[in-house]
Amino acid sequence: MFPNLDEIEVGKVHRSDDKEKKAAKREVNVDMNPMVDLAFLLLTFFMLATTFNKPQAMELVVPAKPKESDIEKETPVKESKTYSLVLLEEKAYWYRGITDPSAEEISLDQDGIEAALRAAQEATEGMIVLIKPLETADYEDLVMVFDALNNVEAERYALSEPTDFDIKLQNGKE
Amino acid sequence: MSILRNIRKKPKLDMNPMTDMAFLLVTFFMMTTTFKADLPEEIMIPPSQAELKLPESDICTISITDEGKVFFGVDNKHSRKRILATISGQRGIKLSNDQAEAFSLQSSFGVPIDELPAYLDAEVRGKYYEQNGIAIGTEGELDDWIMTARMINPKLRFAIQADGKVKYPIINTVFETLRDLNITRFNLVTDKKIDVSES
Repeated sequence: MFPNLDEIEVGKVHRSDDKEKKAAKREVNVDMNPMVDLAFLLLTFFMLATTFNKPQAMELVVPAKPKESDIEKETPVKESKTYSLVLLEEKAYWYRGITDPSAEEISLDQDGIEAALRAAQEATEGMIVLIKPLETADYEDLVMVFDALNNVEAERYALSEPTDFDIKLQNGKE
Repeated sequence: MSILRNIRKKPKLDMNPMTDMAFLLVTFFMMTTTFKADLPEEIMIPPSQAELKLPESDICTISITDEGKVFFGVDNKHSRKRILATISGQRGIKLSNDQAEAFSLQSSFGVPIDELPAYLDAEVRGKYYEQNGIAIGTEGELDDWIMTARMINPKLRFAIQADGKVKYPIINTVFETLRDLNITRFNLVTDKKIDVSES
């Protein structure tokens, strides 16, 4: 880099194109195109092949199966506090109590069900909702009902077996 | 002199910021995503407003397609191998190392145990193989798989991922299967519902 002291000739300026075969510093032209292509390829790959972590989940707690000896100990539930929601394919029935109730038909939309639930909550302290999906009920309607129950903060609800009345509802009205 | 000045210089574009941006995006996607568990069949999960996040590890996913086919999957590769070893030992089915390896690569599967060796030997698996689902109910094998999975990993949590159009009886059978095994707390996988109206 530094010129040899012996070689300096007074009067001559050291120029870059001198006869000395020192490798002149050349401008390097790197073509960035392939690297950019690669980067975008990787990006596209990751965008298509992966999914954002953590799909949503809804927690469900079901009561444990009672043992034979426990069945007698089950506390009977006050009939007037129970509300039943019978789910069919296209609609649902909503009624109070168990023996000889008068069922009203409601549509399977979340707002409607939430309104019915809230009305019941106002009317009854400690309301218990029995969800009875029939054979033709869709899973997404069940999820929607759970959603509605969570939104109104219902504390006691359960999936239960349809009664004869419910089955009659299905056969009678459909 | 003026003629020389008129020769347009080719515009030089500095690519540096763009490549920086591209690599930033790649890094972002690499860090925040996981490979999609390639489901054998498409499942349209129903929407809900539930905001609970699915746990990241120790999950057992029971998937139900709209045709009612049931698939079973555990998230951990080693757990899968051990579950397979236990099940095949119980039933006296001998499986080679290759087959065990193939099994551990599947994030979920839906074939009866009898068909399992054939499935694992097949050229292609996953969604390229016609899987008919695991039998559920009293004659079914789902409870064996769940029980074994639980035994291998006591911390296992269960998630049910079912298509919205599945009819209730199948869901009920799966719920009952879990209840019979004393599993009373599980998750339902749902899609985030975009709340358009303020309620």
